Amino acid sequence: MNQHPARTPFFSPRRVMILAGNTFTQLVRMKIFYFLLIFIVIAIVLNFFRLPHTVGPESVGAEELRSLKSPLIGVMKLFAVILGIAATALLIPRDLEDRTLYTILAKPVPRLDYLLGKFLGVLALILVGLAAMAILLNVVLHFRTQEILAERMALADGMIERGYWTEADRQGERLEVLRHGPTWSLQGALLAVFLEAAVIAAAALLISTFSSSTLFTVVITTLVYFIGHFVADGREFWLRTSSLGEDLTVHLASRALVVMFPDFRPFGVVDEAIAGQALPPSVLGALALSSFFYVGIYVVLSWFVFSDKEI
Amino acid sequence: MSTPPAVEVHNLVKDFRGPLRRGTIRAVNKVSFQIAPGEVYGLIGPNGSGKSTTMKALLGLVAPTAGRCAIFGKDATKVDSRREVGFLPENPYFYKHLSGRETLRFFGKLCGMRDPELRNRTNELLELVDLTEARHRRLGGYSKGMLQRIGLAQALVQNPRLLVLDEPTAGVDPIGSRQIRDLILELRSQGITVFLCSHLLEQVQQVCDRVGIIDRGRLVREGRLDDLVAIEDQTEIVLANAPPELIEDLRRLATARKGVRWIRSGHPRTTLEGLFLREIPAPARPTNPPHPEPGAS
Repeated sequence: MNQHPARTPFFSPRRVMILAGNTFTQLVRMKIFYFLLIFIVIAIVLNFFRLPHTVGPESVGAEELRSLKSPLIGVMKLFAVILGIAATALLIPRDLEDRTLYTILAKPVPRLDYLLGKFLGVLALILVGLAAMAILLNVVLHFRTQEILAERMALADGMIERGYWTEADRQGERLEVLRHGPTWSLQGALLAVFLEAAVIAAAALLISTFSSSTLFTVVITTLVYFIGHFVADGREFWLRTSSLGEDLTVHLASRALVVMFPDFRPFGVVDEAIAGQALPPSVLGALALSSFFYVGIYVVLSWFVFSDKEI
Repeated sequence: MSTPPAVEVHNLVKDFRGPLRRGTIRAVNKVSFQIAPGEVYGLIGPNGSGKSTTMKALLGLVAPTAGRCAIFGKDATKVDSRREVGFLPENPYFYKHLSGRETLRFFGKLCGMRDPELRNRTNELLELVDLTEARHRRLGGYSKGMLQRIGLAQALVQNPRLLVLDEPTAGVDPIGSRQIRDLILELRSQGITVFLCSHLLEQVQQVCDRVGIIDRGRLVREGRLDDLVAIEDQTEIVLANAPPELIEDLRRLATARKGVRWIRSGHPRTTLEGLFLREIPAPARPTNPPHPEPGAS
């Protein structure tokens, strides 16, 4: 008969990984990675795109690289956020509707393992998808940067010969082009895209535990995502302009609001990185910490709701 | 120490909230019964009588409002109690993206099984439910009967001591239904306890040792099947190759006794299922034990 452990552990990483692997396979077999083909097509089209030389010659190189990065990272963000919401929203209600959940939870599977497995499966899919797109982005960006750098340096040499530019101008132009290439800040920005998707997926997980419909979860999570872009500004404005701002209860209520609706404003660092600004490790670290905080809160709340859910 | 019952349901009550959280609906009302190890127990009742809710409470899928359920002495609300249970829900749907073999491996891994034990068990079960040839096909392409059989195989994957089956032959053709029934009988012969919910009374009668009848959430009758269905004041004699004159002699002899009434004689009838299976034989499967043809006189 059974040769398995005498007691079912409260939490089993192996079981979580089995469920995560199954969720990942399920989503992959839904042909979600066809999205990569769209990304490749956009990357190829953008690579042939040349800006008209209407802006000053100094900014043309950087502008061309920005116009390559911006839509591609936009597509990556779209992929990550849509998948974070839709895939998470789809999984639990679907398991419930199909009664697949009965067979899984009738096995010695704690509900926490099930939730974590589903969530990690979605995150793995987003991570793999983003990693594939990030590799492609970096390769395309590297070659394009080298190409533009060669053009700009040839132009700079001509300008120096004619006495318009100095060697410092040439070096400045070189650094300006390289700042828009595949930098560490750009890799940090791509990590921020993943973290943002992880937070919104965790919010979708929480909503899906008390909703029984995929559509409801998608709509509410999308609302949470949009509200999350304004909630911090609104809160600050309210506290600054309202006479209630000094009241402790109001302060606590406003903080609770920030927990309910995650603050997505700090993820704006992605746009800054696209603009060629440096992303310091401390900023990225703080972003990662706040993302872990939100993901942790939402997963624990999901577990509380789901552990008492009548199936 | 005495062996705990395989299943113990004690004063189980389950209320569900009504629409808009107004009032409650009592799905199960003070139901109590026990199933001894190795027994096949059938819980029968009309649709909506509380069979599935009782089963779900036993599997920890819903929390009892009152009372308790236990599996081999372990509280059914605890995950640990499900280590010894295999469950086949009504009309099971599994992950359509997995093949039959992948499905069994997935559920086996969830139960903590590893290769080579899992590999051997998977092959053995695919053979048992006659799906070896379809093992690499995705479940999205399985027929209802095949899904039911792979469902039965996943329920058995970790060698459970208790098998819980909710309408195991719902929507299955007579051959598939017969195979499932034969499998239940075979499992009983191996000492596995089976708890079966069905509203197909004939099927329950063919496989169960004991039955409970549930109606509107209450257990209205419970006991050994033979005791419950026996008509105490009637006797059945079945003869083969009896000439009509012998039947006439018997009838005369019987009615000569005071108080004895001859009710009927004639040829026993097979069931429509029996006729169907005789005309369309099931594929030869060595694991199927012979099954007596049900008859009546």
